[in-house]
This record gives sequence, C-alpha cells and structure tokens, in this order.
Amino acid sequence: MSQVFSSEDVYRRYLDGLLSNNRQQCRECFEQWLAADAELGTLYENLVQRSLYEVGDLWERGRISVATEHLATAINESLLNLTYPRLFAQARIGKTAVIASTANEYHQLGAKMVADIFELHGWRGYFLGANTPLRDLLDLIREKGPDAVALSLTVYFNLDSLLQTAVAIRSEFPTVPILVGGQAFRWGGRDRVEGLPEVRCLASLSDLEAWLKDERNHV
Amino acid sequence: MFDTPGIAEAMQSYVLETAPVLALRLDANQRVTAANAQARQILRSGAVGRPLAEQIVDFTHSFELSALINQGSTAVHRLTLSTASGMPETLCFRFFPLPDGTLALGSLDLKEQQQLRDEVLGLNRELNDLSRLLHQANAELRELNQVKNRFIGMAAHDLRKPVGVIMTYSEFVLDEAGDRLDDEQRGFLRTSLAAAVGMKRLIDNFLDVSVIESGQLRVERSRTDVGQIVEGVLPLVRLLAARKKIELHTEAGDDNRPLLVDVAKLQQVLGNLLGNAIEHSKPGQRVWLTAHRDDAELVFSVRDQGPGIAPEDQTKLFAPFARAGTRKTAGERSVGLGLAIARLVVAAHGGRLWVESVPGLGSTFFVSLPIAPGGDHA
Repeated sequence: MSQVFSSEDVYRRYLDGLLSNNRQQCRECFEQWLAADAELGTLYENLVQRSLYEVGDLWERGRISVATEHLATAINESLLNLTYPRLFAQARIGKTAVIASTANEYHQLGAKMVADIFELHGWRGYFLGANTPLRDLLDLIREKGPDAVALSLTVYFNLDSLLQTAVAIRSEFPTVPILVGGQAFRWGGRDRVEGLPEVRCLASLSDLEAWLKDERNHV
Repeated sequence: MFDTPGIAEAMQSYVLETAPVLALRLDANQRVTAANAQARQILRSGAVGRPLAEQIVDFTHSFELSALINQGSTAVHRLTLSTASGMPETLCFRFFPLPDGTLALGSLDLKEQQQLRDEVLGLNRELNDLSRLLHQANAELRELNQVKNRFIGMAAHDLRKPVGVIMTYSEFVLDEAGDRLDDEQRGFLRTSLAAAVGMKRLIDNFLDVSVIESGQLRVERSRTDVGQIVEGVLPLVRLLAARKKIELHTEAGDDNRPLLVDVAKLQQVLGNLLGNAIEHSKPGQRVWLTAHRDDAELVFSVRDQGPGIAPEDQTKLFAPFARAGTRKTAGERSVGLGLAIARLVVAAHGGRLWVESVPGLGSTFFVSLPIAPGGDHA
C-alpha cells in the first residue's frame, strides 16, 4: 500500500532535520514534497518559508543557537537547487524582474525565493546576492530594463537603507514598479515605503503570487 | 569577588562536567591520568593512561611537551590533537604546574571558529547563487537554441523551393537544349546544377537539424526487411562510387526476416555512412556494407580502406559541425552535420552509432538497432 503524503508530517520531519542539522533528512522530505506536490509555489511557502519563519522564531526565543539558525538557512538555500530544473523550465511570458537584498542586508534567501517565484510565473528573475551595493543594483536595472524591481528586507534596522535604495531607483526609473517585502515588515515600516510612488509592500510569497497573477491578467 | 565559599566548587564542577574546555591531569611523565567530560567526548578512547605527547599531531618530529610545560601557565600553545571523530582538532592550551604533575586546559579559538563558520556559510551562499545562475543561463540558452532552430527551419524551408527550381530548370535545359549549347555553356550549366544539388543537401541537413533539435523528429515505422533497406540505399551511392572507381560490396541483402523501422530515415543514415566512406576512399579501394542480426539486435556496418580517423577525432566526430582531421580524397565539401543527424536518427530508434578506426587502416561505422522480443521491432 502506498504511503499517503501528509504535508504536515513532512513539514514536521523537515523542521526536525533543520533543527538537528540533519541535511539528509531535510533532503528526503524536500524530495518527497517535490514528488508529491505539483505546485512549486506551495512548496516555497509551506515548507521553506514556513520553516524559515519558525526557525527564526525559535532563535528569537532563545531556543536554538545562531549557528543552528544559520545552518538551517544554508540547508534550505541549498535544497532550493532541487527545484531549479522545473522552475527554469516554465514557459516565459517575456517579462523580467530584478530582485535584490539592499546594502547591509546579509540575509539573501528571502530575495532569492522572491526571484524564484517570478521565474515560476514565467518571468526572468535576476537575483543579486546579499548586501548588494546600490551602484551594482542600478547597473543591473539599466542592463536588464526590468518590468519590476523587488527589494527584500529581513532586518528591520536596515529599513532606511531600503528606503534610500527605493528613492534612488525611483529617481532614475520613474515608472518601474517597485515591490518590497520580507520578514522585517512584521515590525512595521509598510507606511514608510508605500509613501513612495509606485511602491507596493507585499507581506508574503502568496501576496507576490497574487500580484503576479494580477499582472498577467493585465497583459 | 570570587573568593566567596562555594564558588571554587561550582567552577570545578562546571569545568569537569559541562564547560567546552578540555581539562587533563598529567602525571610527572606527562601521562594523562584524568580527563573531564568534554575531553572524554573529544579525545580517542583510551586517551586516559596514554602520554599526552602521543595524542598530539606533530609533523616536525621534534615536539617536546616538557619544553612547553616549563614555559609556565601564562604561555598559550596551539596544539592539534587526534580526536574520536578522526578529524584533528586544534586547541589553545595552557599548562598549570601541580605538586605531582601538570594540569592542561585547552579550549577552541572561538574567533577562529566563528570566522570559519562565516566563511563556510558564505561559500555555500556563493555556490548556491552560482548554481542558480547556471540553471538560469541554461534555460536562456535552451530558449535561444529554440529560436535558432525555428530560424534555421524557416530559412531552410524557404530556400528549398527556389533551389529546387534552379535544379529542375538546369536539368531541363541540359536535357532539352544541351545539343544546341557549346561545351563551355554546358559546363556552366553542369556547374550550376552541381552547386544547386550541394545546396539542396545542405538545406536538407539544416531542416533535419532544426526538426530533430526541436524535438519534433518522428520515427514512422513500417514493416520491411534488411534486403529492402539495402536495395533502397545502394542506388543513392552507386553513381558516386562509380565516378570515384570505388568497389561497393554488400553482405546483407539476403536477410528477409521482418523489421519495423523508419525505412527512409534508416536509408538516409546508411546512405550518409556509405557516402562518407566513398568520399574518404581512393580510386581502386573498396567499401563494404554488411548486416548481422541475432535475437537481440541488428547491426549494420560500413567499412572502408581510407586513411582512418585519429583517436582524438573519433570522440568529436558526431558533434554538429565537427570535421575529422582526414580529408575527403576528391576535395568534396561538407559542413559536418551528416553524422550528427545520423546519430540522432539512430538514437530515435533506440539504437547506437559508433566508429572503430585505426589510422592508415580504414574505418568501420556501426549502426546497432535493438530487436524487440517480438522479433521485428528494431
């Protein structure tokens, strides 16, 4: 009799693997989810993002060390590679996005997942790694001429840096939509970024997916 | 501050049972006589009772533990120990003199550990970023390749018709009005016709490549036998062989057991192999087409007595636009697509195409097609 896939059970085992630094157990769960669930978007949201948030919470409450938190992030990030053969094979819709973590922001996984969600919806998602200097970001925007720019913020104290980045992009590219999001906005700051023209704050990956579907309907 | 009763006992208990510090008591001969919990966990089993010097990794062969102990308790020594995990571990040791020996306390360099962790995590991030870029670049290249295939397919399709017109009318003029032309004019027409034939072959190759690479190659199997295949392929190359005075031999024509293959495509493959063999042979040499069939596979082979192919060229022979180092004996032209197409067609049948060759002794190309248990499905 074939085993019934239970996303909650797999998630619990995955989280257990992350917290015990058991990469192999995490990989098995990830592959199980990949094999069982046709929607990569739900894998990103219900396995990767959920586990990242839960690991972050455990660290904030002092239940795990920063080393375990870092290793859990590293395991999550490396396992995303398993989705790429499917992710990049999606049919293209001719749109591009540039996605970055801003200067001083050393957490890059959120931004990378955002770039992947763009890919999943047929966009080309060009991702710049952690702590992207503003000049490099502006260079890439000039080179790619994207249909959207997305900025990710994990640490609330870097909000000013993100605002400066958004203002710089807006002054050189008056019409390109700027999307911002990330864990940092759990602590506020939404009103400060949305005060800028054509800047949207998206609270989660599912909000981003909804925005992308909406964009597609307007093509 | 720390002389309150109970503090020394608490510290001792902490160091012995919990602290991430190695505490080793050594006797006068520097033999380990006691170890705290952390040391028992990290060091190899049997560490207690053995001299500490034997548990230290030393490549200089001049290591003197006594010299370090004699420097007193303020000196810090970086020593690498063999551990239970099999991995050596470097710790910072200080040695405190005791009335009957030494207390050795060692700890990890936390700053170094942190740097190491940051570096490993940073490298992991970079590796993952590069992996993502690679997947993305591959996807973009696949898209560009599809665009290229569509372009080649459209261009080749549009060129085919006018080239066909040139061929038809050149042949028509030569047939119908050849006797009214002088030798020079007939020569011009024949050259035009030969160029158009060459161009048509090139265009057909491009069309084949675009169809195969876009995944649209269809194998249309029909019932046939080896004899029919060989009968169909020989007329394609007989004229070429006769012009170059190459003797063409077949050892394949009498097998009439049923086969299920795409006859036209298989004949195209064999025609290509025979054409190559003829073009690489000198007048008077021989080319053989043979077929051998057993219960599991049907193997065609095309053998020539040409110059052979160097081993380093054999591996790249089947790549598109590849050309072997050997020259065709009459200067025939080629863009290097024929073998690439042939290998893809054979693969579409579930078969294999390969070459065996010794420079100076000729080459043999093999086409192996699997026979299904039913017997006729190649």
